[in-house]
Amino acid sequence: MTRAPAPRNDYAVSVSGSAPGPNVPQRVGRALWLPMLAMAIMAFPIGLALGVVRAGMIGSGADAQLVAATGNFGTAAMFVGFASVFAAISFAIARILGVFRTGGGAVQEAAGTAVQTLRMPSTAKAFLALMMMGMMALVAAVIGHVIVGIGLASGDLALAIGEQWAIWLEGVRRAGLATYLLAISLGLATIVVVLRFQTVRLRELPAETAG
Amino acid sequence: MSTNLTTLSRSRSIPRQGGAGLARLGVAVAVGGVMLAMVSLINGLIAGSEVAAGNDAAVPAMLAWGFGVATAAFATAKLGVAVVLWGIVGRVRARVEAMSEALPRLVTPSREDAAASSGVIRTPYGAATVSSEPPPELLIHRASRLLWAPMIAMGVMAVYGGLVLSVVQSSSMASDAVAGRALGAWVQGVQFLGEGLLLGGISFLLGTILASLRGGGADVQARLGRAVHTLRMPITAKLFIGLMALGMMVEMAQFGLYAYASTVAADPSFAALSAWLGPLREFGLGLLLSGIVLALATIARVLGFQFHRVTGLIDRAPHSNEVKS
Repeated sequence: MTRAPAPRNDYAVSVSGSAPGPNVPQRVGRALWLPMLAMAIMAFPIGLALGVVRAGMIGSGADAQLVAATGNFGTAAMFVGFASVFAAISFAIARILGVFRTGGGAVQEAAGTAVQTLRMPSTAKAFLALMMMGMMALVAAVIGHVIVGIGLASGDLALAIGEQWAIWLEGVRRAGLATYLLAISLGLATIVVVLRFQTVRLRELPAETAG
Repeated sequence: MSTNLTTLSRSRSIPRQGGAGLARLGVAVAVGGVMLAMVSLINGLIAGSEVAAGNDAAVPAMLAWGFGVATAAFATAKLGVAVVLWGIVGRVRARVEAMSEALPRLVTPSREDAAASSGVIRTPYGAATVSSEPPPELLIHRASRLLWAPMIAMGVMAVYGGLVLSVVQSSSMASDAVAGRALGAWVQGVQFLGEGLLLGGISFLLGTILASLRGGGADVQARLGRAVHTLRMPITAKLFIGLMALGMMVEMAQFGLYAYASTVAADPSFAALSAWLGPLREFGLGLLLSGIVLALATIARVLGFQFHRVTGLIDRAPHSNEVKS
């Protein structure tokens, strides 16, 4: 005999008879965290190798335009790595939230109670929005570095203009990385919210299952 | 009972009820980091415009302190992440206590003989050991519990010490370019060592969360008088430890190499050395961040295993997908 749960005032929840599956961001997180990590692990050594090549070019007195172009390509490769690894972290957090959602539902279902699932908290919505902003800033900076690198290597772009753009793009990269870190802190704060809800809900289950 | 007391004493320094407050504080600190990054962005936009206008003289000084501020911005945002993770550690403890209270009234009468249970089983989440008592704490979990706070403290001190150095560097750039370059090498080495220490501290905080999940899950099963199922260390956890160690070594190496570079600031080889040291220090951070991804993946796996076990304890039917090996 299951006692119907009282309406909640402390948390916004949806009530169902069975455990819900992961939502769309959580499914995306489950599918993409590993490919993103793989991309990062490939990009970082490429960025390091281009740095070593650039050092060799400086040592051998190569053309300054080519040295600057290689610097831009190296930075682009390194920040493909950072964009990917931060995406992988964000997707891994989404995956953890998915496990809480499905696992918490499964426990309630096994106990024979109504399944209460926390609605998406505001921290989770802000996490998704800021993650996309951070990703767009980093991808834009990477594209900018590649365009500047091509311009310098082909001689279409003067060295001073290339330097000017490299300084601007550095600022964009920094803002993008900090935004990504803020998004990650919001994703982790969502885990705190979910843990609080599950702690409260666990303590309610025995009373609801008692006939 | 002794295990329970041990676990409770281990958790004494952990915030039990302050998880939400720590989460808010952590997010606020991270917002502070974003604001610092915006200062660095504006500085970069002005410096770039100065280059375009041909007023190059002031640019090196602007870039010098801009670098210090940007790295401090990342460190501040990472400190925010660490504070939120500390809140999660406390919440995990509170969840274990709620399980200990609720499960005895939810779990069906035991059909397991805990004392006779031992061995290895296969579960949908990987191999798990079965024992009658909670397993001893792993060395990496003890190290994580001890080291996360000192590493974060040292990291913050190094990054902000480097920020002060970058301000000194920017004021000396015009008068003595060689001294400015030497100071710049120290700024980069010290600040990125600090960034590495911060990410190492965050990695150890994730290790502390894993330790709380493992120890707490085992204690709950033991208190119920059931066989204790503990997930064996997944491959992601082993790779996490390897990448974290490698990343820390790279960050320490780049610090030593930047210290050396500061002694050859007047030499033509300085430019070539700087050209690969920059990517090297970022490569080290990349390794640490990759390790963090794997730690988060391990947490997801361990949580999945715990929900599977709890559901199995509550369910009447035995788990058909667990195979004893």
